[in-house]
Amino acid sequence: MIRIVTLSEFPPDVVDFVSRRLHAAYGMGSELEGEGEIPSSAMDDEQSAYDAVKALEEMDDDVALYADDKILYLTTEPLTAPEGPMGRGPVDGYAQYGAGKAIATAHGLADKGVPLEVGLAKRAAHYVGHLWDLHHCYDPRCAMHPGWSPGFAAYPEVALCLFCREKSERKIKLGST
Amino acid sequence: MATKTQDPVIGDGSLHVGDRVVYPNQGICRITGVEIKQIAGQNWEVVTLSREEDGATVMVPKAKVMGIGLRKVADVAAIDRVFDELATPNTDPQLDWKVRHRENADRMTGGGLFGTVEVLKGLHALSRLRPLPPKERELYDNARHLLVGEIAAAMNIPLHVAEDNLDYALWPPEGMTRKGKALPPATLGPPSPARAAGIDDDLGFEDEEVGGAAEATPAAPAAAEDSEDADEEEEKPAPAPAVKKAAPEKEQPKPAHRPQAGSAKKAKPSHAPARKAAPAKHAAKKPAAKHPARKAAPAKRPAAKAKGKAKGKR
Repeated sequence: MIRIVTLSEFPPDVVDFVSRRLHAAYGMGSELEGEGEIPSSAMDDEQSAYDAVKALEEMDDDVALYADDKILYLTTEPLTAPEGPMGRGPVDGYAQYGAGKAIATAHGLADKGVPLEVGLAKRAAHYVGHLWDLHHCYDPRCAMHPGWSPGFAAYPEVALCLFCREKSERKIKLGST
Repeated sequence: MATKTQDPVIGDGSLHVGDRVVYPNQGICRITGVEIKQIAGQNWEVVTLSREEDGATVMVPKAKVMGIGLRKVADVAAIDRVFDELATPNTDPQLDWKVRHRENADRMTGGGLFGTVEVLKGLHALSRLRPLPPKERELYDNARHLLVGEIAAAMNIPLHVAEDNLDYALWPPEGMTRKGKALPPATLGPPSPARAAGIDDDLGFEDEEVGGAAEATPAAPAAAEDSEDADEEEEKPAPAPAVKKAAPEKEQPKPAHRPQAGSAKKAKPSHAPARKAAPAKHAAKKPAAKHPARKAAPAKRPAAKAKGKAKGKR
């Protein structure tokens, strides 16, 4: 089950759209679990964005999780991530690979010219994919294609390529439940 | 059965118990000890490793530790050179699939950091020209997995950050620089053959609840991948493989789907033989079960006719 927790206000139809698309992409149940808040301690040093890694680690929620449940947090706040070897790049979410929590933001979708619900659903599918150990995919139509590449806006439909779909299915089947 | 040895010397002496090492094609492991195991009546000194990803235990005969390419996790300087290498565009992928396969297999078996980088970079460059065939797609994913794991382990950063950084180099976003040098932003790859054929990519969610449409949509790019596997060097036209791939999916006993114009078009050829086959089965089964006596008659008639025809011809 993919449990969605909203950290900002979203129209109900947007959350519903995201939930349905997640269900379609992974063949798993997906539902709105409730609302929450990003911990203020996760704000980065420049006070301009939330550190996604910290936000997930410090998130205080009481969502009851079962064996293979995944939590997806949705927000509209800008996110950032620790600096890596290439410096800082665009961050539209973060996922704990092969674990249970991911966060995706709707921030910056307007600049890409993608409708809110579609862009958010695609990002959600991307980060949930990382929870199932999926890596980035070169196919621009796949939801696992990096979000900053031109493929994101060019192919807004939320679908996994066959390779990613089969891999996710294998992982889901191997799950403890 | 197993006894632990004291103060073990592993490999050339550079490895110690507790070290994080890279096992070729397996990923990051931690050396947990050296044990003497009795296998088939012989005592074997084995190095035990625990794979960090899933905790699986790997045992390697001590004498073969260096031979299989077990090595320490790369240091930060090596990772820096990896990113220099990744940020340099590769415009000349190996197009000869035999050479490519041999080279990539050697690199992956060797387990070297830069070998893995070359595999990933070469396949990435190839994927910008055309979709990879399934086996190379798998290899691409494995190379990426190993590299992401090693970058994360070496830099002590989360896997997600490691992969994002890897792709900042492979697919540079706008304004990305490497050591002060601006990287050309990623461009959209060429449309896959399935797309050129006009196949609708919409997920068709209305049908997804029944469990059908989502399978039809992603099958299209994958169909192209399959076609390339058959003959790596020959670019095949899109429609033929798309139809080929659609056939087994349509045969699944899932009811009520196919609203999309694109997928419906695709489905036609594959449906046709299935429909023909179904009545034929019915016809054969029904008389057999209900009227076994009648079964013999039709069998005779055609035979008689055939005889007659044959006679007439003579």
